[in-house]
Amino acid sequence: MFDEMLSDQSHRGREPYRKLLSWLENQDLKKLSKKSKMAEELFRRVGITFNVYGNEDGEERLIPFDLIPRILALDEWQKLEKGIIQRVVAINAFLQDVYNGQEIIRAGIVPDELIYTNPAFLPQMCGFIPPGGVYTHVVGVDIIRTGIDEFFVLEDNARVPSGVSYMMENRSTMLHMFPELFTEHNVKPISNYPKELFNSLISCVKTDIPDPNVVVLTPGIFNSAYYEHSFLADEMGAELVQGTDMEISNGQVVIRTTSGTEKLDVIYRRVDDDFIDPLSFDSKSMLGTPGLFDAYRKGNIVLANAPGAGIADDKAIYSYMPEIIKFYTGETPLLDNIPTWKCSDAESLQYVLENLRELVVKEVHGSGGYGMLIGPAASKRELSSFARKLKSNPSKYVAQPTLALSTVPILTKSGLAPRHVDFRPFVLVSPDTIKVTPGGLTRVALKKGSLIVNSSQGGGTKDTWVLGV
Amino acid sequence: MLGRHGNNLFWMARYLERSENMARRIQAVLHHSLSREDEGREEWAEIIATSELAHLFEQKYDGFSMMNAINFLLRERQNLNSVITLITKSRQNGRAVRTSLTQEVWMSLNETWISSEALLRRPVNIHDLPIVLEEIIKGSSLFRGALYGTMLHNDIFNFLRLGTYVERADNTLRNVYSKYHRLLPTANVIGVSESQSQWEVMLRSLSAWRSLNWLKKGRIDPFSVADFLIFDQRMPRSINFCYYEVVSNLTDLARLYKKEYKSLDLARTLCCQLKKDRAKNIHRIDLRYFITEHIIKNNELGSIIADDFNLI
Repeated sequence: MFDEMLSDQSHRGREPYRKLLSWLENQDLKKLSKKSKMAEELFRRVGITFNVYGNEDGEERLIPFDLIPRILALDEWQKLEKGIIQRVVAINAFLQDVYNGQEIIRAGIVPDELIYTNPAFLPQMCGFIPPGGVYTHVVGVDIIRTGIDEFFVLEDNARVPSGVSYMMENRSTMLHMFPELFTEHNVKPISNYPKELFNSLISCVKTDIPDPNVVVLTPGIFNSAYYEHSFLADEMGAELVQGTDMEISNGQVVIRTTSGTEKLDVIYRRVDDDFIDPLSFDSKSMLGTPGLFDAYRKGNIVLANAPGAGIADDKAIYSYMPEIIKFYTGETPLLDNIPTWKCSDAESLQYVLENLRELVVKEVHGSGGYGMLIGPAASKRELSSFARKLKSNPSKYVAQPTLALSTVPILTKSGLAPRHVDFRPFVLVSPDTIKVTPGGLTRVALKKGSLIVNSSQGGGTKDTWVLGV
Repeated sequence: MLGRHGNNLFWMARYLERSENMARRIQAVLHHSLSREDEGREEWAEIIATSELAHLFEQKYDGFSMMNAINFLLRERQNLNSVITLITKSRQNGRAVRTSLTQEVWMSLNETWISSEALLRRPVNIHDLPIVLEEIIKGSSLFRGALYGTMLHNDIFNFLRLGTYVERADNTLRNVYSKYHRLLPTANVIGVSESQSQWEVMLRSLSAWRSLNWLKKGRIDPFSVADFLIFDQRMPRSINFCYYEVVSNLTDLARLYKKEYKSLDLARTLCCQLKKDRAKNIHRIDLRYFITEHIIKNNELGSIIADDFNLI
């Protein structure tokens, strides 16, 4: 098991963590715990909460925040950054191709039925290139680490990746509570993220529009990520709108204000494709704006991310990512994929069923850690009932080996204790540049030995530092 | 500003004002009831009846007791006008527009909600009641302070103030309505001391008891009560004061948006009407008719404001 802080033969901790470790040695555990409580109190008062689905009274919960930062050295970060940019370039090229020339299908690299039968594929997008040629303005690439030089991409989030507000709030909490740590460490700043998001959004607007009007589109206060939507709108100085606030007037998207209507240029939407426009997509949706997609196809509005981008982060497409990267960039992938068995394939299914105990099985279209099986942690009964599900609908699942996720210590009542982590850096795409914010969201499984880091399943978060030098 | 956000701001302020009024009324009636053998049964029944909730109350509780009534008014979630329901709704509206609020305003509202949820999680007992009520009222005061001290005085502010004053006018009107018979010239016949204690409850629930007592040097009569609550421009809960504030906030909006509004016309008319009525001798006003008329007009004002500004 690789611990990012302590797996080092010198017993002084790994290089990036040494200053932190010596600082920690001089801290009083009780005082730290007290500060930890203070942080929690602050989060609640400010209302940094998320809603839990399937919970009747719509209770709002805190995502537990751990005080011990996760630290990456500059060279580690630069390696990741390069790999991420390569991947995001390929994702955008793939999307443009899938919705236009479809050369990758003709080249026999991705099977056509995987595209056409995929619910994330939107035929409405065919033959259309979004403003500025950008499909995924914001991407979150989930990365796990298993050793000093072993990083894997767990999944790509090309639809509406969330979590960036926690990256920001975690940092400002740390700055507030331990300013002295930042004088001793050269931590790369992340505070520009909202400004850069804003710039990358307006970079796709036609140049003849002087001050583009940007809004954030939210499903509303009961959405699990509502806090984040309001946070980003606030930081960008953008209006936070819902589908019912908008209408189409002369082909343009406008919002209804207290003093009339106002034209929009960019919608940073945090609602899923299905709920954008009841005329083009789910006709039962109450969240959408009728006619929005038509205005989009006329080029009158920027939608970020583009509808249909989900075909690139689908768990079935994921297993083809190495070939996709090679096809569009001509390069070898810098970041590895995790080997993945597609259960739709009879041989793979056989293997998965035989080795269920060692594997992680996920739903192809699932997210948030719901509906997955972690073989090593499952009971006999869970294994056999999952095997039945697999056999009855194999194409719904993919399987991966259970990887030994790296650990970073968290603060517990009895001191530091290692817990498994993953990592989601955030990428901003403009027509001519791709930027990765130096940091990201580190999610941590708070239960000893647990591999599930999702906040909906009791995971927590950490501040993530990229050291300058 | 989005029309929907205007609506959220308006109702966030309305619900919070309503919850404060409810807490003040409970406080006043409690004060009155503690010295009575029947625990102020009539007064409590009156509050429950004015919100048309008698039926729900009977469903929820075996019979009347003061603490049953108080818990029903404070923490029953099925009661749409209980303090906890109102604070929750106010905060929900606030959460939908938190980008329009300063951190301090939002936090004062959020903290009021968090502490009310904690205080009202279990049935309140008589011992804790004064502190619970004080805490709830203090939350509203903090909110007001943060509002005046930190918010831009722009349209966001105007919609919040409109919500507050439309609601407050309604509350004062309904309070006077429930006691109008005690304010009639014939009140003396019913019994001076009984009427006195009734006005006192009403004045206290509008936090007007001390100020009127001070202004009148301890000599309060039914006419001075009516005059004070309806016409006095110094009294922040009088009808006149509320109308004046509504006119002033609507005038700001009309100037900002460079438009004319029906709601402003109506609010001005109501103000003029009040001025004319004040010139008359208060003995000659048909109080019951007068109050009913104003409840209806004030209600109408609320819906016309919604129409004028796309509040949906």
